[in-house]
Amino acid sequence: MISAIVATFLTASVEWVEAYTILLAVALSIGWRRAAFAGVCALGALAVLTVAGTLGLAHVGNLLVLQFVVGFFLVLFGVRWLGKAIARRAGLKKLHDEAEEFAALRARADIFDKRAAWVIAFNGVLLEGLEVWLIVVALGVQTHHTAAAAGAALAAAAMVLAAGFWARGPLAKVPENTIKFTVGCGVLALGTFWVLEALGYAWPAGEFSILLLFGFNVAGGLAVARAFQTTLAA
Amino acid sequence: MRGFLKTLFGDARHVGTVVVCVGAVVVVMHTPLAAAAGFLLPVALLAGAAYLARH
Repeated sequence: MISAIVATFLTASVEWVEAYTILLAVALSIGWRRAAFAGVCALGALAVLTVAGTLGLAHVGNLLVLQFVVGFFLVLFGVRWLGKAIARRAGLKKLHDEAEEFAALRARADIFDKRAAWVIAFNGVLLEGLEVWLIVVALGVQTHHTAAAAGAALAAAAMVLAAGFWARGPLAKVPENTIKFTVGCGVLALGTFWVLEALGYAWPAGEFSILLLFGFNVAGGLAVARAFQTTLAA
Repeated sequence: MRGFLKTLFGDARHVGTVVVCVGAVVVVMHTPLAAAAGFLLPVALLAGAAYLARH
């Protein structure tokens, strides 16, 4: 359960930082009240999706099928985040820059139109929140702690808002790639464990195997990134 | 809808990579080499992540 909450909190932190950049850019055009309302509406939509997703998965009668489905989604998510983090660490892909993102949003012509800006804020928070939704539902259903996972996501939102209020600007100093790398390794470890367990594989070290898988992903991911760096430098 | 699915699950290359890795392990689980699946899947997924990082 702890690993699920930590993974949710870290995933949500990264996504909410990106959502905050969008909200900030919009708020400077149409005011904080309208931008915050768009954000709250998007969070409401995510809450509805969370309830629907949880209820939908709860109706899967076969627990092994449920475990396989959840594990497969987590593997999809983990491989993507780990792949992106390796590419950024190796220099194959540019690091995500919140200040640059903020400047690009402020340069958009439609950001000064009240309705268009509201939609930008709503869509931004909704799209950034979709990955949080996936993690909350998948980890919550599998560990039977959906409320705790949702609480971790909301706690991350509160933390990002507080940091944004304190910084009074885009949160450009968040070590986003390191968090993505760590979360990717962790989520991939959980997904790998559940997928194989659902297929009838008996892990020799039981649940301790999750920690071993996490260690393997971290060491392997770092080694791959270093190998790519060496290739690029040559 | 396409944007929604891509945000959640990634593009076709990404989904295909994971399907190939998991599919290979499903096959291995039905062979006498099933005990090796615990080593095969993490290695295959790491290789998949490396492939996606390059492409």
